[in-house]
Amino acid sequence: MTESNFCGRTRREFLWQTGAGFTGTALAGMFSEDGFLDNQAVAADGQTAWTNPLAPKKPHHDPQATSVIFLYMYGGPSHIDTFDYKPKMKGMDNKTIDVKTFGRGGHRNQGRIVEPRWNFKQYGECGKWVSDLFPHKAEMVDDIAFLHSMTADSPIHGSAMLMMNSGKILSGSPCLGSWTTYGLGSENQNLPGFVVMLDPRGGPISGAKNWSCGYMPASYQATIMRAQGTPILNLAPPAGMTSETQQKLLATLDQYNKEHQKARQDNTELAARIANYELAFRMQTAAPEATDISQETAATQEMYGLNGEKSGTFGKQCLLARRLVERGVRFVQIYSGGNHNDANWDAHGDLQHNHNLHAAETDKPIAGLLKDLKQRGLLKNTLIVWGGEFGRQPTAEYAKGTGRDHNSYGFTMWMAGGGIKGGTSVGTTDELGSKAVENRYHVKNLHATILNQLGFDPNKLSYFYDGLEQRLVGVEGAEPIKQIIA
Amino acid sequence: MFVQVTAAASASAADAGSAEFYNESVLPILEARCFECHGPDSKLKGGLFLGNRDGILTGGESGPAVDPDAPEDSLFLDAINYGSYEMPPDGKLPDNEIEALTAWVKAGASIPEDSELERPELDHTNPATLVTEETKNYWAFRPVANPNVPPVKNSTWPVTPIDNFILNKLESATLSPSSPAAKQQLIRRAYYDLTGLPPTIDDITSFVNDKSDRAFEKVIDRLLDSPQYGERWGRHWLDLVRFAESNSYERDGTKPFIWRYRDYVIKSFNEDKPYTQFIREQIAGDEFEPPTPDSIVATGYYRLGIWDDEPVSQKQALYDDLDDILLTTSQVFLGLTMNCARCHDHKIDPIPQKDYYSFLAFFSGFKRYGVRGHDSVKNNSIGPIAVNQDDRKRNDSRQAMDRELGEQDRKINQVNRRLNELMTPPEKEDFKAVEVRVDIARKYSGKGLSKKLVSEYATAVQRRKEILDTRPPEVAQALIIKEVGKTPRDTFILVRGNANVEGAEVEPAFPSVLSPPEPVIKTPTMTDSSGRRTALANWIASEKNQLTARVMVNRIWQHHFGRGIVNSSNNFGNIGDKPTHPELLDWLSTRFMQSGWKLKSMHKLIMLSNTYQMSSQASEKELAADPANNLYWRFNMRRLSSEELRDSVHAVNGRLNLKMGGPSIYPVIPQEVFAGQSRPGAGWGNSSEEERARRAVYIFIKRSLVEPLMADFDFADVDSTCPVRFVTTQPTQALSLLNSEFMNRQAAIFAEFLKKEAGPDSAKQVALGLRRATQRQPTKPEIDRGVGLINSLKADGVPEDIATKYYCLTLFNLNEFLYLD
Repeated sequence: MTESNFCGRTRREFLWQTGAGFTGTALAGMFSEDGFLDNQAVAADGQTAWTNPLAPKKPHHDPQATSVIFLYMYGGPSHIDTFDYKPKMKGMDNKTIDVKTFGRGGHRNQGRIVEPRWNFKQYGECGKWVSDLFPHKAEMVDDIAFLHSMTADSPIHGSAMLMMNSGKILSGSPCLGSWTTYGLGSENQNLPGFVVMLDPRGGPISGAKNWSCGYMPASYQATIMRAQGTPILNLAPPAGMTSETQQKLLATLDQYNKEHQKARQDNTELAARIANYELAFRMQTAAPEATDISQETAATQEMYGLNGEKSGTFGKQCLLARRLVERGVRFVQIYSGGNHNDANWDAHGDLQHNHNLHAAETDKPIAGLLKDLKQRGLLKNTLIVWGGEFGRQPTAEYAKGTGRDHNSYGFTMWMAGGGIKGGTSVGTTDELGSKAVENRYHVKNLHATILNQLGFDPNKLSYFYDGLEQRLVGVEGAEPIKQIIA
Repeated sequence: MFVQVTAAASASAADAGSAEFYNESVLPILEARCFECHGPDSKLKGGLFLGNRDGILTGGESGPAVDPDAPEDSLFLDAINYGSYEMPPDGKLPDNEIEALTAWVKAGASIPEDSELERPELDHTNPATLVTEETKNYWAFRPVANPNVPPVKNSTWPVTPIDNFILNKLESATLSPSSPAAKQQLIRRAYYDLTGLPPTIDDITSFVNDKSDRAFEKVIDRLLDSPQYGERWGRHWLDLVRFAESNSYERDGTKPFIWRYRDYVIKSFNEDKPYTQFIREQIAGDEFEPPTPDSIVATGYYRLGIWDDEPVSQKQALYDDLDDILLTTSQVFLGLTMNCARCHDHKIDPIPQKDYYSFLAFFSGFKRYGVRGHDSVKNNSIGPIAVNQDDRKRNDSRQAMDRELGEQDRKINQVNRRLNELMTPPEKEDFKAVEVRVDIARKYSGKGLSKKLVSEYATAVQRRKEILDTRPPEVAQALIIKEVGKTPRDTFILVRGNANVEGAEVEPAFPSVLSPPEPVIKTPTMTDSSGRRTALANWIASEKNQLTARVMVNRIWQHHFGRGIVNSSNNFGNIGDKPTHPELLDWLSTRFMQSGWKLKSMHKLIMLSNTYQMSSQASEKELAADPANNLYWRFNMRRLSSEELRDSVHAVNGRLNLKMGGPSIYPVIPQEVFAGQSRPGAGWGNSSEEERARRAVYIFIKRSLVEPLMADFDFADVDSTCPVRFVTTQPTQALSLLNSEFMNRQAAIFAEFLKKEAGPDSAKQVALGLRRATQRQPTKPEIDRGVGLINSLKADGVPEDIATKYYCLTLFNLNEFLYLD
């Protein structure tokens, strides 16, 4: 056969491979660029030399961003009440109009308008209109690129969240953070490369599926980090075991293991396992250090809203995110909102109550994060992504009230830092915000942009699985959103 | 993207057909808006070229862009007006551009000859993807051969023909096989291999002391007869068919009764069921005439996948589900990635898109798992394990009576609640006896309860008793396939895989590159289904099928040696690995078929070879020449799987509970892990400590909540077929084995066990602990090292029991505990 044409891609040397014991598929991972192949071994077969799958790797081109912080607004914030200014809706409250919508309530052709419930003002040099929900973030608009014409394949939480996190509405694919650590490895081996922080009210719908490494090996799985207590599962020794005891135990273990290894020197996996105990031991110190915010000044803590009644939790998570990227963690995702209903941005009932709550929880922390990263010179290498799995409809979901149903025909997300052009707005929705009309972008374009900023050609970063060269942006591929790239 | 449109949309029909109009008002729009994907320098998305008239009239995969007979209905106009297509995809064109293009199309979409552009040549059609005599001759598509056993120079080494095949290649490469493994290593290897459990000290002693030629054979026979064999090898199958007990997505609901499928698989392996029967039962067991309990439960095969109960499009979801089944079936049974031909012809293998849909047609009667909610799941996927008419009648009558019982209970409870408000305390006491209830109710007839209600109450109570006395025993239920009826849905090629764009109709057919027979489809008489799946099952489970035996034999080999003869065991196509020993693969396939497709005979054949019994020791020359051990100059070391690890912890500390089958168990999951769920703890049950010490194959598999120890140690991803598990080495594994509550609890149990069995002497406890963890006699320095740790901890003030516990924890972390030679 000719070595080309694999779903439109060039098929170079296939390391789809080898060794026993190990995964037919693991080594299959490849980049279409030569030179990358050397870094791909995830082998653990007792034959192939073990290399750390999380060792730092070079991407396809020089990256603008070396870390990503994804501020996930779970439930779907309303774009027309936040950043997508719709002055023509003023005075249209309660009017019944013809508009096509599709949400959890199914397809509708008509609806009762719920006028945006917050006033908008212009901010920054770019004169961006932002609603009163976000007075703090509004001050940062000159650093932000707004994507007003986002579209997604599903207006249903379960599948839409999978789409936003893994690029597919079907369960089973690796999420963005896994792709990132697969592609780039991690700068700091004493900390996990991919961290997820959850809302104390609960995880999002579908739970761990949202940060699953899917068909990739567990090396690329997410680590849940908590803002309170022991930051990582199993990080702390069991109650009663002192550090001295643990060190003695580890020393004894090391002696046994090294003796066992003597006659098996060729099996590098055994050595890797021995080294992993040292790594685990260091992680026990490194992770608590990274999450110890008492090292931060009062002014910094205040900047993140740590003292705020509502903003304390998310503020602390944002501050932790900065401390993590500072220490070389590649990908941090923080969930604003958890559980169900009004415990997240899913404003089906009382829009004002819902969005006032979640905005108050997140506005100052996010603004603080942007400011802090900027003043420390970290923003240029840290890509911030903000948004939920979809937006919300211009019309009411029920006969009474202000609740809005889901809207995947058009919604807003924004990005900042990491080589993104601040003070820009791209794409538009119609006058009601019911659907994207100009410069429409799909979630895949957002993913392509993230990968591009991390140094990848999104259409080349691939992983061989199920007979296909899988990509985050899908077989069809997707282009980055060039208008927002500095 | 600014487009200069000079001519206004007011162009008359005559103008719109002119060369000038095209060049000045149409071409600039096409260039700016369309040519990126459909122009002379594009990849012609969807096969559509808009640069010349022929391209426009021929159109692409969705049909002609312009219909000259009815230009108003053209797909082109539909698309730019955002009808069934939305073009260009990044935003609708401005009105004036739409008007210009519309005028042009309505005028016949003419293009002046000078402006016709040349269609780009696309470099496609890899000859390997065409069904030709040459591609039919690809190694995996040829009939299975029965090769001669090759000669070898060192004629003393081979003990089975397998060894000849292996040694022949080694000798060609001037390499030598490794020495035999030590008996202790060999028995440990065999125990884990066949049962996933360590041998006991007695097992080892009796094997080491058995000097007869048949010593190892006896061990193999015993292990193959043990029920733990099915639990180990059944689990390999469960990986392949992506067995899980929940649906994923928002609700991640539990799949009722699906544990019966897991038990069916274990039982089938233990019974040494012919593989062909195992295939037929899973693919078409419901169409057996008559069915058996096994063949009914086996069709749970179709219910194992993910299920979105709230899909964006029901139609697309149906095809996604069918694709999931087709993917699993073609990869698992045939080693073919037919799924790659869903949207277009396969880009690597000779599988046209038509073959994908013809294969899909075998499943066209399939009812989705459910439509939404519990009743739909019940209707579509749950049925009785009824093997004959009597069972079915009994089931119908039982279900009807149960429904009526529910209705009567509702009536009764309504009155009971009312009575509870009316009755005096002594009456309430009396009311506990069922037989007096109607009498008490009668007292309130007309006094708080209507006469009619009381009379209905009496009837209901009477009827309830009758139902309970007369209803037939329950017929066990299972999660099974159901079809839409005897006539399945029509099947069409879906253009670009889009469920809404149907192309040509297809009939069921097997992949053409395999030169298959025509499917013989007989409508079953006993079930309401099409009989298509029976035709498919019979073709797969046939000696004539070029792939079935090869694929399965390769899997058996893979699990014995840690790798397949074809390493990519789900993909025997062009992009898969080539077989390292193709003749051996065919020789084994032939033996497999000759044995009546029995797995146990293959295990024995393989394990009795010297190839299997080699040491895992490296030798310098061989390591340098063949580091990946492609030629099998030694045995490969391997780490325990997640299940083996957990089961070994329980086996070593004496707690392993060998109870088999039944509903799944729920290990304790830390709160920190529950915190990731939208409703922490939801969908996770409780089990007693004794139940939790059962084998890991019985752990409930919830797609969104994988037990953390399992996840850390590379449990299969359960959303797709998993032919080979990863073996990763990562710090979270060390943290979990050292610090988790589970491991510390098990270490404490181990310490108690050692104290009880070995007495109070630390040295004896350490010696026994080491023996149990490594299944060999420990050396004096090893014992001293353990005692040293315990003493040193005691000197620090750690109580002896705790110090011993920490030593036991150390044992669970040993590389030797986790790795097999």
